[in-house]
Amino acid sequence: MKEARDYQEIMPGKKWFATLVTRVFFYFIGMGMQTAYRIDPDVKKEVDSWPETFSFRMAVVGGPSMLMLKKEGSFKYLGEKETFYCDVEMWFKNIEFAYLTMTARISVPNAVYHNRQFVRGNLKYMISIIRVLNIVQTLLLPNVIARFYIKEVPKLTFKKLVNRAITYFNIGYGAIK
Amino acid sequence: MSNKNEVIPEYYEFFNSVKIISGYKALETISFELGRLGAKRPIIITDKGVAQAGLIKHVVDSFAGTDTVIGAVFDETPQDSSNVVVNQIAAIFRAQNCDSIIAVGGGSAIDTAKGVNIVITENTDDLLKFMGNYRLNKPMKPFVVIPTTSGTGSEVTMVAVIANPEKNVKMQFTSDLLLPKLAVLDPRMTMSMPPKITAATGMDALTHAVEAYIGPQKNPVSDAFASAAMNLIRENLIAAVKEGSNKDVRLAMANAALLAGLAFSNSMVGVVHASAHATGGICHVPHGIANSILLPYGLEFYIKKSPKVKALIENLLLPLAGPEVYVQTPQAERAAKSVSFIREMAGELKKLSGLPMKLSEAGVTEDKLDEIAQATIDDGAIAFSPVEVSLEEAKGILKAAY
Repeated sequence: MKEARDYQEIMPGKKWFATLVTRVFFYFIGMGMQTAYRIDPDVKKEVDSWPETFSFRMAVVGGPSMLMLKKEGSFKYLGEKETFYCDVEMWFKNIEFAYLTMTARISVPNAVYHNRQFVRGNLKYMISIIRVLNIVQTLLLPNVIARFYIKEVPKLTFKKLVNRAITYFNIGYGAIK
Repeated sequence: MSNKNEVIPEYYEFFNSVKIISGYKALETISFELGRLGAKRPIIITDKGVAQAGLIKHVVDSFAGTDTVIGAVFDETPQDSSNVVVNQIAAIFRAQNCDSIIAVGGGSAIDTAKGVNIVITENTDDLLKFMGNYRLNKPMKPFVVIPTTSGTGSEVTMVAVIANPEKNVKMQFTSDLLLPKLAVLDPRMTMSMPPKITAATGMDALTHAVEAYIGPQKNPVSDAFASAAMNLIRENLIAAVKEGSNKDVRLAMANAALLAGLAFSNSMVGVVHASAHATGGICHVPHGIANSILLPYGLEFYIKKSPKVKALIENLLLPLAGPEVYVQTPQAERAAKSVSFIREMAGELKKLSGLPMKLSEAGVTEDKLDEIAQATIDDGAIAFSPVEVSLEEAKGILKAAY
């Protein structure tokens, strides 16, 4: 029989790879949202319907995050900036859930249905944010992959291909800058 | 071997911690149960209609001969609860040294009471800080709900919606801490409900059960509750409208609404509720009536759009219409039969109580349909529709229901 003092604490390991992948995807989504606001009329319409100053954060509990800020006519990706207050926050409960979602092994709707994420703030804007995220994902991903992320993938048009190219250019440019 | 997800989802969560007390003289148990929770001085939160119907007297009388003291009765809860009323009640709670909350009424009184519980527990007067999910962390005051309608299921849901008129925000709070400690179903509390409200709230409960059964968050536990609710509604709703003084039927409907609440608070609701919320918000159609009108049209939309959801609606026929109808209906016709069964039930309720079956009969004007459609696709419930719903599709559902 072990003595009480023989029992030792166990520090669980870190999920470096899942955190890295999630961080990269957050960057893609953030830059994608920023670009989509400029080139996609549907995204512009949605974002313009939000209050004049509006912040949205996607984050993992105890993990990476991304912050979007709408202010003075622009909609910008601010990276992993900490804020005291956010109008709407979408949290993944665990890095593993974010990783599975980002790598399309759980679709975004399924992450919602499974309660693997939760939302804080004014839920009124969440549906509009989901529509923006859906459009951004169709810009970022080929339709054959996008169908794993969202409920219904819109038809591929020439305009969409051009917008996809612009989005990737901006993401690449942003990364170099 | 069938797809495993058809029976057991790859992942689900189900939570409900409410103790349910159902039956004759059930109210008389509350004092004992509050005592077990260390509470002896509850505030009763209700509305004028409930008080005028004499229902509060049943509650107060049930404490006779016990050492529980009613700290205060607040009977001025408005139809749409707001942070102003919540703060007003919280001040009464503190001034009267209350230690627990009893909500008596429908959705509004119950949501208001949940708001009061947040304000008291968090010692705040600003509910805005707690909007959304998982914002509450402290154990709440003992909270008892006595529903006086058989529809909302709020006695077992972890959601509250409270308006903030100053900021023009409909604040939504979701937390398992909002769940009451007790839900008390006593047939005395629903017997005086008029036939039309009985019909509308019963159809509200049916809509909860149906949407929970076909929703993307459905799971074996929510399915069991939804099926049980539909069985009870099939056997008791028409009877409750015809013979409101029948205690057995009233108790069965109260249980049906509670079971449907257990199901949908975990499985969520979809396009029918999204469009009903929008219709209620813009044209002030009562929630149960809007759900009753829109339910068959929402199901028809799903049948046309998704073979997967159509298969679920085929299965729905068994709890909805009963085993005889189910076995006599060929599989290819079961989805349509589910819809026609709901229409027949609504038709019968229309004859008995004047329950509207079209939006035009409920005071909705055609020029409002576009606005309602936009509000439908902006409603939170749409995220839980099993299929994507476009603005045009939402308009289509509303036009068909008009």
